[in-house]
Amino acid sequence: MPIYLYLDNSSVVHRLNPTVKVFALFIMFWSVYWVDHPLALLPLGLLMVAMAQLTHSWPNFYRLRWLFILLIFFTTLAWMVFYRKGPALINTRIIHLSRASLMFGLGRGLKLAELLATSVLFLSTTKVEEFTAGLQRLGVPYRVGFAITLSFRLVPLFIDSALTVVQAQRLRGYEFNQGGPLERVKRYVPVVIPVFMGALRKANNMAMALEARGFGISATPTSYIDYPIGVRDRVAFAALSGLGVIYFLIYYMGYGAIAVN
Amino acid sequence: MKPLESNHISPASAAALQDVSFTYAGGDRAALSRVHFELRPGEMVGVMGASGAGKSTLAKCLNRIVPRFEDGEFSGVVRIGGRALDGERVCDVASMVGMVFQDFEAQLFSTNVAHEVAFAMEQIGLPRTEIADRIGPALEAVGLAGFDDRDPTSLSGGEKQRLAIASVLALRPAVVVLDEPTSDLDPEGKAEVFALIRRMREQGLSLIVIEHEAEELRNCDRIVLLRGGEIIADGPPAEVMIQLALLEDCGVHPPDVNRVMALSGIERHAASIDEAEATIRARYPRLPAVHEATTAIADRASAQAGATVEAGPALLRVDHLSFAYPFGPLVLDDVSLEIAAGEFIAIIGQNGSGKTTLAKHLVGLIPAGESKIRIGGRDRATLHAAETAQEVGYVFQNPDHQIFAATVADEVAFGPRNFGLDDGELARRSEEVLSAVNLTAERDRDPFLLSKGERQRLAVASVLALRPRILILDEPTTGLDYREQRRMMGLIGDLNRAGIAIVMITHTPWLVAEYARRVVLMRKGRVMFDGGVREFFTRDELLANSSFRPPETTLLGRRFGLAALRPEELADWIKGRA
Repeated sequence: MPIYLYLDNSSVVHRLNPTVKVFALFIMFWSVYWVDHPLALLPLGLLMVAMAQLTHSWPNFYRLRWLFILLIFFTTLAWMVFYRKGPALINTRIIHLSRASLMFGLGRGLKLAELLATSVLFLSTTKVEEFTAGLQRLGVPYRVGFAITLSFRLVPLFIDSALTVVQAQRLRGYEFNQGGPLERVKRYVPVVIPVFMGALRKANNMAMALEARGFGISATPTSYIDYPIGVRDRVAFAALSGLGVIYFLIYYMGYGAIAVN
Repeated sequence: MKPLESNHISPASAAALQDVSFTYAGGDRAALSRVHFELRPGEMVGVMGASGAGKSTLAKCLNRIVPRFEDGEFSGVVRIGGRALDGERVCDVASMVGMVFQDFEAQLFSTNVAHEVAFAMEQIGLPRTEIADRIGPALEAVGLAGFDDRDPTSLSGGEKQRLAIASVLALRPAVVVLDEPTSDLDPEGKAEVFALIRRMREQGLSLIVIEHEAEELRNCDRIVLLRGGEIIADGPPAEVMIQLALLEDCGVHPPDVNRVMALSGIERHAASIDEAEATIRARYPRLPAVHEATTAIADRASAQAGATVEAGPALLRVDHLSFAYPFGPLVLDDVSLEIAAGEFIAIIGQNGSGKTTLAKHLVGLIPAGESKIRIGGRDRATLHAAETAQEVGYVFQNPDHQIFAATVADEVAFGPRNFGLDDGELARRSEEVLSAVNLTAERDRDPFLLSKGERQRLAVASVLALRPRILILDEPTTGLDYREQRRMMGLIGDLNRAGIAIVMITHTPWLVAEYARRVVLMRKGRVMFDGGVREFFTRDELLANSSFRPPETTLLGRRFGLAALRPEELADWIKGRA
């Protein structure tokens, strides 16, 4: 199984300047942040569907399909339980189904799903090196940008080692799913310790290898790939800025909210 | 320019350590103690010694990881190309000394191969055009031309390590240091990397290679032997590699052909199997040419192999098992296998041949279909995980994937406690297994402070505490030095003699030859061979296709028409024919 989400296609989006891609990530988060109403979120969702088609990122969405489904389903359900306002269609001790609670739940679910989808699109179209370069262009120091992107590389390694540790302990007769919630968390100690110790060792080895390859000699290393800014990038930048302004206005004029009644 | 020099270090040396001592912060003894070491331009030096002898510390002094990265007490002078490295940072010397580490996963940071090679050049600030010009030749030098756009995580172990070497070569360093570059590789990867090292040597690079299998280093210019932080031998292989007792004492596996010759009364170093054969024939002219039966000492010698526990009734049976991950190719393809009480089986095959997947089926980490696997007559699919754990134990390759307790005794008690055994029984079993793995004295120590060999034995003990009848070990000797390997295998042999069936996944030819009694060779998910060890080593076409190289004792024996497994038996035969 590939560790990265990056898909080596050469769509228009792939070829955008990394700075524009990082900016796009920001604008999508920004736009999603300001509105709650599912109808207001819908255009963003459609935009993402179009992007997924354009960049051929469907395999990654397929890989994460259960996450998307669970995210939307459980968020919607949770709001029916906790958001008890508006005229009820169904009202039991547990579930309070009203137009408002349904809208809120669906809105929140969509919101989370869109944040995830934005991230998936970004990672599907952006190499780790481009991410670093994009952050650097936006004023983030090279070392900080590199640390952020390196963590993307480490997460899958740690997940992999955690899965192995779980297997090893299970073979020694260990049951992870016993007792109440607190007890269950505590039962992960035999996993957390080996994973943590392994992570420390790995991080130490990596730090050594990095320095041995000259990391740290200069605060502004050169870049093997040139990332020129072209007309396409300028257009994308302008469009994204426009999108950001529009979504702020939707919020400002009150269209993005959900009426309780 | 002629720098002032002290001692005997020549100003023309590529790299030198003068009177270097180092004690790690918190260490109770010096990791290096007044070491003088010199690498001449174009020379290849092999550095050998037991775990903890100071090999890695010596290497790390050369690129300033010691003392800049590792804290501790440092004294002495390190020179690269005559220039003393006082006060320099690790990154400052990156373009002078290229360092390649054992852990290849931790050396790759990029999303494609070209970026990986570019990384170090970007750090030292080479202009873009220069970087682009150097990537191609660097990849070509390591045999990865055309791999530019590949994701490094999709490469094989050998390819990953060669990529790490390419990224170091791109800086055009004067000295390249390789710290156990093949320890984590399968035989194919090992061969690839050593072939590359030979090419680098031919191109005149100054090389330091740390390694504990002497065979790979027998053609280098000089061997430096370390013990307890001191250099105790420094000379050409012909001098150092005939001191078999000294090598073993230093945790180094001496070349087996040299041992065969020594046991036959010839105190000489052989740089190759050809040379060993010629030397032996010159001394024993009456030895036959290669037309005798190949299993001449086969049956008699299996008794010498130590244990001969009669194979008992079948404990485990695999019946036409096939397996594929969703949307993936077949990982196991119609595998049938029987494991009887008291057997000692080696499962061999390239990485990705299905060895581990098979083992995971046996212990139930991957569920098998109905009546595909039967354990003790019962269907694996109907067994609870806990029930299997008491039948089949599984020791993972890396002991650090399971160790978590505060003391050695607690670690061992973890498994039995999960099965609800009472305190008296817990204590009895802890005692029993700790004594079996020779860790009784360490019972109250923190497992994280044990050596790698001790942690590996602890992992075995904690699985043994469940009293399985079959014990599966995945690469039980990886990362151990020769002494620790022998100790580990001695332990496994003892367990086998006590009646536990052993299934060992391994890449190490001499372990198969000297310890196993049955070989299961896997390729692309299929069992290609299942039979006796000696028979396996006479099947040339099988060996050629499996890229499994028999141990050198066997290769040498074949020159005389024998399927010898141990240096002792081959030497006995040679002397018997004289």
